[in-house]
Amino acid sequence: MSDNKLKQMTVFFAIWLVVGLLVGMAFKEQTRIRTAELPSARLPDLARAYVQEKRSNAALEEEIRQLRQRINELENAFASGTKQAQVLNQSLQEAKMIAGLLEVEGPGIELTLQDSKKRPSGDSPELLPELYTIHDYDLLRVVNELRQAGAEAISINGQRIVSTTGIRCTGPVVFVNDVKMASPFVILAIGDPKTLVGALEMPGGALADLKSVDPKMVQIRRLDTVRIPAFSGSTQFRYARPVTLEGGTEP
Amino acid sequence: MIAVGLIGLLLGVMIASVALDIPLPEEWAAYLSLAALAGLDTAFGGWRAALEGRFHPDVFVSGFIVNALLAALLAYLGDRIGVDLFLAAVVTLGGRMFLNLSLIRRYYLNQIALRRQRG
Repeated sequence: MSDNKLKQMTVFFAIWLVVGLLVGMAFKEQTRIRTAELPSARLPDLARAYVQEKRSNAALEEEIRQLRQRINELENAFASGTKQAQVLNQSLQEAKMIAGLLEVEGPGIELTLQDSKKRPSGDSPELLPELYTIHDYDLLRVVNELRQAGAEAISINGQRIVSTTGIRCTGPVVFVNDVKMASPFVILAIGDPKTLVGALEMPGGALADLKSVDPKMVQIRRLDTVRIPAFSGSTQFRYARPVTLEGGTEP
Repeated sequence: MIAVGLIGLLLGVMIASVALDIPLPEEWAAYLSLAALAGLDTAFGGWRAALEGRFHPDVFVSGFIVNALLAALLAYLGDRIGVDLFLAAVVTLGGRMFLNLSLIRRYYLNQIALRRQRG
């Protein structure tokens, strides 16, 4: 009898223990989900959050612009000091020019690429709808071609192309410097207009495929002055560090 | 016997919240909660049975396992076929827990009343 009672007690204890485990785990799991979740997964709320985020993004970019301007002013003030400082500042301005951190202007071209309004007609398999839209690789080829032709500054829809710029299709939009954009793409480049246009219009070159599909997808204008904005994204390096030779090369 | 159960419950919750850290896929969270609910139901049922003097370990254990699995399975099936079947489990188990709890409450009230009469 007492043996039976002990058995009952053990079973009772074991089950309650397991129930406790289950409840505890469920509790923890739900807490984890609740803290990990977005404030609300409903579409209207997300849309509102998106708009707000975009607005604060624009404000922050404006702040970056102002701060950069302030840095420039400070640098100039610094440079009006000693001769040594002037030399330093000059090389600094050159480095910033190369890095694309200064707004620049000069002769160049304006190239507009836009999706074709034509639709594939007939049912030949070569007439893919993809051929009628501008893709990341079109932009990449153009940028590459312009650089090869000696372009000194390039921007796509106001985004300065710098050494860390990525150009990538994500669904229907293209990201340039992590900024979303879509057709039409206005590409500005500073350089010798004749050379730039010649490079772009090379037979079999970057624009030949697009032109063969629909000549209206490509428009090139030579301009006497092109104004290209400074790079407005982050210039923080998170991983790369300059290598210092001191200490490392001693025998 | 009841004290043993409560100690077990507390111990279980403590182990789960302090020691155990099993990362579960999020889709499982709902099933886990339901299994916990089924477990609670069985545990209360066992408590009531113990008070009424007809506690059988085999009924208790099998009830616990089958109820927990069935509840989770129902929820899963409901997810697949687009009917919130887990509600059926929640309503049934919840209702039964209230019933069992009320019977347990009455049992203790009766005990107190009896003791007063004697004293």
